[in-house]
Amino acid sequence: MIELQGVWKTFSVGPVKVPALSDVSFRVTRGEFVVLTGPSGAGKTTLLRLLYREDVPSEGEISVLGQELNSARRREVAALRRSIGIVFQDSKLLPGRTVYENIAFVLRVTGTQRSEITARVFDALRAVGLSARAQAYPAQLSQGEAQRAALARAIVRRPTLLLADEPTGNIDDAMAAEIHDVIKDIWVSGTTVLFATHQARLATLLKRRTLVLEGGRLVKDQG
Amino acid sequence: MLGFLIAEALRDLRRAGRVALSAMLLITLALAALGAFWTLTSNLGDAVAKWRDRVRVIVYLKSEPDPASVPALLARVQAVPGVASATYVGRTQALASLKRVLGKDATVVDHLGANPLSASIEIAPAASASASPEAARAMLARLAEFPEAEEVAGSADWVERLSEWQRLLAFVGLGIGGVLALAAILTVTTATTLVLHARRQETEIMRLVGAPEFVIRLPLLLQGMLQGLVGAVVAVGLLVGAWRLGAPHFEPLIELTLGLPQLTFMPPVQLAALVVTGTLLGGLGGWLARAGR
Repeated sequence: MIELQGVWKTFSVGPVKVPALSDVSFRVTRGEFVVLTGPSGAGKTTLLRLLYREDVPSEGEISVLGQELNSARRREVAALRRSIGIVFQDSKLLPGRTVYENIAFVLRVTGTQRSEITARVFDALRAVGLSARAQAYPAQLSQGEAQRAALARAIVRRPTLLLADEPTGNIDDAMAAEIHDVIKDIWVSGTTVLFATHQARLATLLKRRTLVLEGGRLVKDQG
Repeated sequence: MLGFLIAEALRDLRRAGRVALSAMLLITLALAALGAFWTLTSNLGDAVAKWRDRVRVIVYLKSEPDPASVPALLARVQAVPGVASATYVGRTQALASLKRVLGKDATVVDHLGANPLSASIEIAPAASASASPEAARAMLARLAEFPEAEEVAGSADWVERLSEWQRLLAFVGLGIGGVLALAAILTVTTATTLVLHARRQETEIMRLVGAPEFVIRLPLLLQGMLQGLVGAVVAVGLLVGAWRLGAPHFEPLIELTLGLPQLTFMPPVQLAALVVTGTLLGGLGGWLARAGR
């Protein structure tokens, strides 16, 4: 499902090269729920960006869903991303469109038949408990609702892999618990989940395999 | 999918707002200018062709030739490059023609002691001779070399001047149309660049979910083409409206000055070509913005 082998990522700041990831290797198999944790700046977001090929490693090999990412062409990257759902700390909802339109937008731009769209959007909204807010605009949603809408958008294409980058970083504990429950439900339905969070306590609560990053190095792989 | 992409393009157009309107206006002006100059030069071309047909060169003869030698003389004249036809006009025939022209004043001729007119050969130049001043001058020079010729009268210079005006107008029209078209392309590019900025969130989401590249790019091209299409349709509307309003007023004046009884407007094929040109101009603007990304 996911395989990293000796991955390094270095950013240049003027003449200085700053390593964001150093010699990271791990595997995630199909159906796993993996928590990726570590303090802010540990390299979690950088690692996730490499997994959906928003960035390329400075060294090392990455394979996701059987696709070698280092040499992947634009078309192959697009095909890979159609099998991945991504949620961020910021919901990234389009402000001029309703919740329904935000989710339908993803289906439309990836070529889903028009006749299937409504049913699939409401399936996704039901999965995150947001059916009643389908016609609301992002500005009318609470942060928790916005994040659930973003989750609905991420799963509407029934992805094989869900990458969650601090999806509960901006919301209170009660709302965060709701989001965790939704993500667990998505995992139970068969989607592999890689959940990045800086909250070590949350990683303990989720009781799943945990990868700990510190200073760009994978220092622990437990569970 | 296409319906969705067109809807996205329309949404982009609304976002571009006044800049998109400016682009459409410039395309309208560019195509209206091209169309107007095209119509003008086309009618001027008709007038030039008509006047070329009427040009005659007269070779006045030193003396009236023996009637038996006229066919041979005419054959020699017709052999000159650029001569389409040659007609002999004897002195008596010339005097009769003069009387016909003078009409009720023809009696003046009767007071003349003798017929003062020369015999002549009236020549209709071929199209090749009247096509350029150089060809016309070469033909006149050859005719003047005839030992029987006293004087060669007639020139196609003024027709050439008219023809030069026609060419000048065509260049001016192309120049103005070209500059406006360039401005239109740049404005569409600017409008599309603004749209690109406004839709960066959509673009980001589309890339993240793996939308095909053409789905990301096509709305930009379509909104450019829509701007061009709307601008071109308005331009054609303006041209047709101006023609219907203006032609009836101008036709009598044109007939009086240029001898054209009826002005002609652009045929439907050319109007359609204008619409296609406008659409392509808009598309080019959209593509140029896209190419920079």
